[in-house]
Amino acid sequence: MSDTSLTRVRHVSDTGLTPTLVKITASSVIPADRARVFAALTDPGILQQAIPGCESLTATGPDTYEATLKIGVAGLKGTYTGKAAILDKKPPESLTLTFEGKGGPGFVRGSAAITLADEGAATRVESVADVQVGGLIAAVGSRLVEAAARKLADDFFRQLSTQLTAT
Amino acid sequence: MPDQTPYIGRAMKRVEDPRLIKGIGTYVDDLRLPGLLHACILRSPYAHARIQRIDTTAAKAIPGVVGVFTGPEVNDSCGLVPCAAAIPDLKAPKHTVLASDRVYFVGHAVAVAVASDPYIARDAIDAIDVDYDPLPVVVNPEEAVKEGTPLTHPDLGTNVAFTHSVAGGSNIDDAFKRADRVIKHRLYHQRLTPMPIEPRGAVASYHAGEGTLTLWSSTQIPHLLRTLLPGMIGVAENKLRIVAPEVGGGFGAKLNVYAEEALVSHLAMRLNAPVKWIESRRENAASTIHGRDQIGEYEIAVKNDGTILGIKSRTIADLGAYNQLLTPMVPTLTGLVLTGCYRIPAVKIDIVGVYTNKMSTDAYRGAGRPEATYLIERLMDVIAREMGVDRLELRLKHFPAPTEFPFATSCGLTYDSGNYQGALTKAKQLAGWDQLLKERAAARAAGRLFGVGVSTYVEICAMGPSAAMPAGGWEWGCVRMEISGKVTVITGVSPHGQGQETSFAQIAADRLGVPIEDVVVLHGDTNVAHYGRDTYGSRGTAVGGTAIVMCIDKIVAKAKALAAHLLETTADHVEFANGTFSSPGVTNREIPWAELAGAAYIAKSLPAGFEPGLEASSFFEPSNFTFPFGTHICAVDVDRDTGHVAIKKYIAVDDCGPQINPLLVEGQVQGGIAHSIGQVLFEQTVYDENGQLLTGEFMDYAMPRASDIPEYVLGHTVTPSPVNPLGVKGVGEAGTIGSTPAIANAVLDALEPLGITHLDLPMTPERVWQAIKTRTAATV
Repeated sequence: MSDTSLTRVRHVSDTGLTPTLVKITASSVIPADRARVFAALTDPGILQQAIPGCESLTATGPDTYEATLKIGVAGLKGTYTGKAAILDKKPPESLTLTFEGKGGPGFVRGSAAITLADEGAATRVESVADVQVGGLIAAVGSRLVEAAARKLADDFFRQLSTQLTAT
Repeated sequence: MPDQTPYIGRAMKRVEDPRLIKGIGTYVDDLRLPGLLHACILRSPYAHARIQRIDTTAAKAIPGVVGVFTGPEVNDSCGLVPCAAAIPDLKAPKHTVLASDRVYFVGHAVAVAVASDPYIARDAIDAIDVDYDPLPVVVNPEEAVKEGTPLTHPDLGTNVAFTHSVAGGSNIDDAFKRADRVIKHRLYHQRLTPMPIEPRGAVASYHAGEGTLTLWSSTQIPHLLRTLLPGMIGVAENKLRIVAPEVGGGFGAKLNVYAEEALVSHLAMRLNAPVKWIESRRENAASTIHGRDQIGEYEIAVKNDGTILGIKSRTIADLGAYNQLLTPMVPTLTGLVLTGCYRIPAVKIDIVGVYTNKMSTDAYRGAGRPEATYLIERLMDVIAREMGVDRLELRLKHFPAPTEFPFATSCGLTYDSGNYQGALTKAKQLAGWDQLLKERAAARAAGRLFGVGVSTYVEICAMGPSAAMPAGGWEWGCVRMEISGKVTVITGVSPHGQGQETSFAQIAADRLGVPIEDVVVLHGDTNVAHYGRDTYGSRGTAVGGTAIVMCIDKIVAKAKALAAHLLETTADHVEFANGTFSSPGVTNREIPWAELAGAAYIAKSLPAGFEPGLEASSFFEPSNFTFPFGTHICAVDVDRDTGHVAIKKYIAVDDCGPQINPLLVEGQVQGGIAHSIGQVLFEQTVYDENGQLLTGEFMDYAMPRASDIPEYVLGHTVTPSPVNPLGVKGVGEAGTIGSTPAIANAVLDALEPLGITHLDLPMTPERVWQAIKTRTAATV
């Protein structure tokens, strides 16, 4: 159902090591129409259910949120607190999500351009994200960040589909 | 005591080893003090950022947390981390113990939590909330020197810490005018992580009643710490005791005064309780000094017959964000031995030290000499290939003759003694050089990539004359003949694997004529070894050992005066041999040490003006460095399909002068070559474009393993140094210095049939395979 691919934005010469700035492209078909999917992507309640490891998600203003996530990246389990904001909202076509999380194992920050397109009665959601990690995550796990990001994206879309199918 | 073969020269097992093997040695982390608190340090995940806010409220609320402190709360009490390198016009940032308002590299210490338990302290740093505002990052030192690039330290106004130019020998421009060819080459010494088996650690204990502080630290330099720490924490030198207990390796990484040493000292005083900080392996990768990281561009003026007229070099040295103890000095050492063991009439050396948002570089095993030796030895092979001359002949042609020593070089040094031809000849014999070349021809005919590499090196040891050292280069020692006839040797060097508890006991036992079991060597505690300049630069035996010899000479002279009194004769009629004083022809009476020492301390019958006791201390100031040398030969097989390099044969002939203990020499050479195998084939410390450290653990920082280490053939020649009475030169770094170019030259020799003439270090399977693939594709 979902198809997450990753592009290395820049390569660290020829060391065979993964850099800490990656472009993550994800694509998934959600069994609901565009308006419902768009609404879900901006609904804190649904997002909290869909975001893996999300312990809390509270709106701090229009389209700005604070969240606490407990996730493991590259074997480094940690609690991240972060901020997210939705920009450039064009319902039901596109939005940009910026996010910034920090925790014991380091930080994750970036932005995702999300577009929605009809695919029959369902909606194809495409996300192109630039993600940067730093600190311990980079030092001990950068080579596993891609795999972790892919899994998080897959889990997110699966949960989102479940949420929208259930309601 | 009966005649015995001397201890000096015997391959004796180390007296240190049983306690280490049994696990009953005491390292810093083994210390258990009543009421001990544990510190854990929060480190920056950003390479460059402004600290907007730090909230320690949640961390302080955790039960068991005693205190949480940030830069502004401790920096004024901890002074600045010192740099001892005297570099003219050095622009230096203020190096506070914790970051004050900005962080300058990933791993920069931001805050410290102290708790009753190390795990609580670790949890507490996770509860500290820091808001960072990321700033532009400087990663590439070659970019950093250009105008208009971001600045590592905006307040310095430049990324250039210093420029250093040295011209030596005859006129360099004339040399290049007379050249038939000018060969240019670029070489990169990658950044390396020293990785001692024991990371750093420190325990501080304050004794409020006396106002004294004891600091146990996993350090190479307890005495330099005692000199430099008072200026940081405000405890006078004579109220400060530094102890380096068992230290699990240093390799230069512990030749430093670190922020954490001042920090735990301050915390122990502030909290009036002993405080322990133990570095994790991940912290060690990010926050203990790195080595090397120098980029060099070279031009060599040569005649058609290969004669070298001159070398110009321009080096860019990546210093990292801060100057640690010797950071800016290390690249200048590279310039000192750039001409290697060759007669090269003219040199011009330009060095630019550059700040980047990375951990500091500093002295790492060999410090400057591995860099220089890799450069000159790679260049000798390049010249031989370009000019069509034999690489051994080219080297021989430029060696000074053994009779020309002391030999003054264009770089301004005077090599003490040498016989470079002798070491090369012996290495050729041990290697079966001609047979290796036949094997190479057969392998190439069969399509296999087999290569033979050679390196001839000279290096600088026994550091060193005080005039050339930042903080004095002498060494101190004390020898005490105890009342029982047992001998206590106290040295100011601080061995941490070098084995001087054994080798110094060998020296003392021989010179005093006592069984080695009667000698104990003490070190590493400034309340016991009052003065010293510690262990680095292969100085322990040549400088520290000589101070012990001087003490023994004094004791024997004093003992002879007492013996003369007891034997009722004069000192010039007293003979001392095998630990016994006698006066043949005067009396048949013989006085062994125990009896003589008893008389000296019980003091019932002493000559007029004779001070009781038998103890002497000495400072030895060397007149010059020593210059060990040797030849290393390496044969490798390169797997055409995988790029894997297998070392098939390794021969090292090292001349470190007379050997006190050949087993210790062998251990040093073996370990040194292992370091080079790591540098040539596996290791590289990598920061990405964001200044993130990607090699933070052994999954990504590839250390050589036992299976990567070949069997070595080790040989020696012996050319004594005239600089000290033992004639010894030093061998702590020689293995690393000689072997890096030998292995690299072997790999490139193997790849020569494919037209591959250069590869940067490390020559990992991926890099070698890529090169093979590219060349193979180009020629198909």
